[in-house]
Amino acid sequence: MTREAEIDAMLLQHRVQSFLFHEADLLDRWQLNEWEALFADEASYLVPPTDVDGDFADPSKSLFYIFDDRTRIHERVVRLEKKGAHSEFPRSKTRHLVSNVRASADGDTIEATASFAVWRSKDGNTDIFVGHYAYKLVEIDGALRIAEKKCVLDMDALRPHARISILL
Amino acid sequence: MEQSLRPVVDETRGIYRVPRRAFVDPGVFERECRAIFDKCWLYLGHASELPNPGDYVTRKVAGRPMLFTRDKDDQYHALINVCPHRGAVVCRERKGSSPAFQCMYHGWVFANTGRLMVVPGHAGYPADYKDDPGKQLSHAPRFDRFGDFFFVSFAADGEDLATYLAGAGDYLKLVSEQSSKGMTIVGGTQEYSIRGNWKLLAENSVDGYHAASTHSTYLEYLKNANGSTHDTRLAGFGHDLGNGHAVIEYFAPWGRPIANWIPLWGEEGKREIEAIQQDLTARLGQERAERIAKQSRNMIIFPNLVINDVMAITVRTFWPTAPDYMEVNAWALAPAEESEWLRKFRLFNFTEFLGPGGFATPDDVEAIEKCQTGYQAAREAQYNDISRGMLREGGSAYDDELQMRCFWNEWDRRIQEHGA
Repeated sequence: MTREAEIDAMLLQHRVQSFLFHEADLLDRWQLNEWEALFADEASYLVPPTDVDGDFADPSKSLFYIFDDRTRIHERVVRLEKKGAHSEFPRSKTRHLVSNVRASADGDTIEATASFAVWRSKDGNTDIFVGHYAYKLVEIDGALRIAEKKCVLDMDALRPHARISILL
Repeated sequence: MEQSLRPVVDETRGIYRVPRRAFVDPGVFERECRAIFDKCWLYLGHASELPNPGDYVTRKVAGRPMLFTRDKDDQYHALINVCPHRGAVVCRERKGSSPAFQCMYHGWVFANTGRLMVVPGHAGYPADYKDDPGKQLSHAPRFDRFGDFFFVSFAADGEDLATYLAGAGDYLKLVSEQSSKGMTIVGGTQEYSIRGNWKLLAENSVDGYHAASTHSTYLEYLKNANGSTHDTRLAGFGHDLGNGHAVIEYFAPWGRPIANWIPLWGEEGKREIEAIQQDLTARLGQERAERIAKQSRNMIIFPNLVINDVMAITVRTFWPTAPDYMEVNAWALAPAEESEWLRKFRLFNFTEFLGPGGFATPDDVEAIEKCQTGYQAAREAQYNDISRGMLREGGSAYDDELQMRCFWNEWDRRIQEHGA
């Protein structure tokens, strides 16, 4: 790799990592409208089940946990802002740890992967979601936007808890 | 004095109260294991999970590790997945295809019929050792199918499966008839847990009364997503299917990928949905086709199989491992011949409501877990009330509580029959 290419890679890495850290911060502060604004106009948010290969599974062929298009991402945020979203009212505390970030540019799309651990605490229980993210990012008006966010759970099953009522 | 376990029932005055002790007492849980899970017919799996000879799946049924196989002669087997030699689990993979299974501990090999084939170092045993019936993989004491739904019972004696299913059988057919080629379990299983007593999910799965309150955000979402042109109101009836099974059958505001179109699916979707309805009508007649297409059904088959034919079809089991904890498995069932387009909408529909990431199930989980917390005060605040609709004339409404009473009558009968 030339020195110039190396610097480009470092800048991309830094940019993507900062973006993901910013997203995690918004989620932990429940700034959901700002979180939603991180998505492109055409976007999806996906959580595959744990008994298929989540890196390759297709939500139109396998039953997923979450299979949101852009409209449903919006509706998910609308719902979570309501008191009637009982599972998250009162809101749980969450903490997203994001690490092992890797990014590469492929034309206009930036592909990024990262590891995550998300803690959700409520009513005396603390539950952990562990897995990895696969992002497709695009640049719109100079800013990074999410075209696809896939959260692959590296768990045997969604146990001992059930609720992906928080955003991963 | 210890509080009675029996429901307090007075049909003439419309009283039906269930002691909350039944949800928290470890002794009750032990009795349920013996009186219910050791005796009833329990769901094992669906034929479509074993599409070819040699296929198998492993899963737990009432805590037992099971190996569900299809042999080269297309015979199905419900094997106890435990080595007769020293008791290790034999097949440790979730699913696959194999004519034989080798125990990792001492290397014994079993055919997918359960027959012992190879014993390493056989010289140490008598010549006919391999033929000893006690050295084969055990079969579930009873194993039978109703259409493509397979069940096991761990009791050697009892009524046959069709008798046990009683009126639920016809409702299973209402699901099977949605395809002329056979229904299929779609890949991908939702496997999650709820920190609550298993009977709470049995009740919740057929509860029409809670929708407006628990799922207000989902119903509001439907209005946004589908537009005001599709404003079918929730309305319908509850039915006792016998032997503890019950169903609610009703009209609802959501789209059904079996011939109940919503605007979200577009004009192309409308044509496809119309073709499905024509096929249903040709095969089943106007009345039954109309019923299958337009009405939703939530059914509990006692004790723990739920088949909800709603905005998609889910097959769900839930197994208690303690009074306050259950393991839930949920699958999506669909017509095998469904187009790619419609399959996608079916799965999109499924995830809108159902499962831990849906817009509704998390709130059911919240309700169940909050009930379980409330039952910690079962000595002071003793009873649940499930009397809604008892004195109503002209049939039970979909949002009455007949379904729960059917479940609890059977629960009580079996617990009493078994004794302490």
